[in-house]
Amino acid sequence: MNAATTAAPGVPEASTRTERPQGRRRPQRPAFWRHRTLYLMAVPGIAYFLVFKYAPMGGLVIAFQDYMPFLGIGGSPWVGFDHFVRLFTEDTFLLLLRNTLTISFMLLVFAFPVPIILALLLNELRGKYFKRGVQSVIYLPHFLSWVIVASIFYVLLSTDGGSINNLIVDAGGDPVPFLTDPDWLRPLYIGQEIWKGAGWGTIVYLAAMTAVDTQLYEAAELDGAGRLRQSWHITLPAIRPTIIVMFILAIGDFLELGFEHMFLVMNSLNREVGEIFDTYVYTAGIQNGQLSYAAAVGLFKGLVGLLLVIMANRLAKRFGEEGVY
Amino acid sequence: MISRRTISRRTGTAIASATALALTLAACGGSGEGGDADGPMTWMTVIHTPTTPTPDGPIETALEEYTGTEFELQWVPAASTEEKLNAALSSGQLADLVTLGPVESTTVRSALASGMFWDVEDYLGEFPNLAKIDQGTLDSARIDGELYGVPYQKVKARYGVVVRQDWLDNLGLEVPHTIEELTKVAQAFTEDDPDGNGKDDTVGFYDREESFLVGFESLSGYFGAGSGFEVTTDGQVVPAFTTDAFKEAMEWYRGVYENGWVNQEFVTVQKTNQQDGIAQGKGGIVVTGLFEAKNYNALAKSADPETPMEWALINDLTYEDVPRRILSDTNGGMGGWLAIPKEYAPTEDELRKVLGFIDKLLDEEAYGLMTNGIEGEHYETDADGVVTVTDQTEWEQEVQPFSSSRPSEKVVTYESSDPYVNEANELMAENEANVITNPAQSLTSKTYDTRWSVIEQQVNDAYNQYITGAIEMADFEAKIESLRGQGLDQISEEFTAAYAEVNG
Repeated sequence: MNAATTAAPGVPEASTRTERPQGRRRPQRPAFWRHRTLYLMAVPGIAYFLVFKYAPMGGLVIAFQDYMPFLGIGGSPWVGFDHFVRLFTEDTFLLLLRNTLTISFMLLVFAFPVPIILALLLNELRGKYFKRGVQSVIYLPHFLSWVIVASIFYVLLSTDGGSINNLIVDAGGDPVPFLTDPDWLRPLYIGQEIWKGAGWGTIVYLAAMTAVDTQLYEAAELDGAGRLRQSWHITLPAIRPTIIVMFILAIGDFLELGFEHMFLVMNSLNREVGEIFDTYVYTAGIQNGQLSYAAAVGLFKGLVGLLLVIMANRLAKRFGEEGVY
Repeated sequence: MISRRTISRRTGTAIASATALALTLAACGGSGEGGDADGPMTWMTVIHTPTTPTPDGPIETALEEYTGTEFELQWVPAASTEEKLNAALSSGQLADLVTLGPVESTTVRSALASGMFWDVEDYLGEFPNLAKIDQGTLDSARIDGELYGVPYQKVKARYGVVVRQDWLDNLGLEVPHTIEELTKVAQAFTEDDPDGNGKDDTVGFYDREESFLVGFESLSGYFGAGSGFEVTTDGQVVPAFTTDAFKEAMEWYRGVYENGWVNQEFVTVQKTNQQDGIAQGKGGIVVTGLFEAKNYNALAKSADPETPMEWALINDLTYEDVPRRILSDTNGGMGGWLAIPKEYAPTEDELRKVLGFIDKLLDEEAYGLMTNGIEGEHYETDADGVVTVTDQTEWEQEVQPFSSSRPSEKVVTYESSDPYVNEANELMAENEANVITNPAQSLTSKTYDTRWSVIEQQVNDAYNQYITGAIEMADFEAKIESLRGQGLDQISEEFTAAYAEVNG
């Protein structure tokens, strides 16, 4: 895209050159040499991606080996698809898939819209300082690590002196085992995701909203549209491309729920509904030193994610949206 | 020297693909380096403190003087031992002496067994201190019958039960010595308001998430269950959790749970939560290392200097007619290996030099240096031989990092000014006579290496579900049956075969 627009000024020059047969050497390396400074500026970025993103991908070969650190990638025996066969034939595979898909789906349904709604609400605030104050406060949880979040919820929800259970007991109720009851795990997980991420998630949408032409609102007001109608007919359609891009990116992480959060809220009594690929990789792969197996599971997750992104992107384009690429 | 080599290699291969990078590393690892007789001896060891002592600091200098060996320490932080070791092993960047652990790490064990390190068994006899290493510890350190390093010697069983003495006194109870008596105490601690505050806010046992692996495991030992695995009379190696004794212990503990004599949400309690709860007086019975009583007291004192907390330390609990026994919590008294890479010590003479160094570290003087530091600078001894650290900060900075590298933790037991420490040391030493170790620890099973963590977690879950009443014993047994097909039986078979080979 960049090359196409900047190449335009060079066109007349090229056309004059075609009139001179001797000058044919120069257009051999046209765009590249002319924009060499731009390319030079890109070198650090390209090097970064090559060294830190693409080169390590070579390490994925250990998914097809019986990798042992002291033998190295060169010396470890090749086992082909053994680790994948083990993953797909494992008794827990269906359970892992079900849990991961359920939780991801719940996140898309319940957690994904929250930042959009929050951004719409913030957008309606007129008091500048109040708006900024609210924004700062709701950004805050994003900067807490999962360990802290899990600890806060532990202190609140424990039946052994947790504040919320103390309130319930004082009000005459029975303590609720929020932390161990399998039925509570998913609501708890989704709730924590929303609490931690929703405020931060509004940033992108708020930025998109600043680009909306204010004349549209004025016109709508003249036509008698209230606040709600303005949001529905002007703001939301205006940020639709942003929502779709965010949605496609979220789809890409469909199997990548992240290890830390679930590991911290899961225990023996609720594992049945909480065990996901990421936590399984930890027990089966890392704890036992089965690095190859862990890599195989990771590769599987990555491929599924890639596939989902491609599908979501195609779908978005079919509906006339821009997509992510 | 080593750092320069690492940097140049890194820049040299930065542009190459990862495969090439790894190949280079592996290839370089194979080429002969190190083993230079002139330079100081290098020792790669683990550090448990946040900062490393300054190179050539007082302790290092004193040790060099005492042992007559100039050495250089390469500290590996405990939190990242395995990654660092993996990297060091794969690149061959080791040292003349390498501290290897954790004991159960598959990577470490397979590296040891790969032939990179000297089998030291035949040489130990030549050195006075190494010749004295306890046979049980040596057995625990073997891998399929071979000894690929000098074991770090630890006390074999530090566990026992600690009970609130002041609560016992308040209720007029005796210190329990059997499971039956302990159960009664747990009931009284829960129901009879042992702290006398008029509120129903105490329980007997205060357990935590790792019950199955730590607290309850130790209790199951009193019922006759083994430590991890046990050998049946016909030579089969079976997991302890499949035995009748273990299930009997589970049934008893479930009863304790049902009655509310143990904290009801222990499956969510982390180690620090447990310590806090105990310091706050929520529970009065803890199955733990006997040395913990001192720590609980210190924690309680920091919150309330007037705390009435007192502990009874018990190491002789028994159940019915099962003879007195205690499960080892320290892998049979060993905490890793001091391994010597053949590449760095190509000749027997060089091997002997390194072994001689380890032997010297086991002398009382060196042990004192690594434990207490230098007299007058870090600690003082009074007329009764009680050792007091004079400057805690300096000790933590200069001495403490060395204490976890001591090749043995039991060369001398120093008198402490804290009576709980002295009592715990005494009781832990007493434990040695009744210790039960894991017969499978020194054996190798391929299936165990690949599958155990998943199997163990599933049994752990089933255990917790059974104790909390979510499932019944039949369900627990069904779970184990289903795991048999997923590798449990194969693990048993492989261990049994390995056991037969080594022992017979």
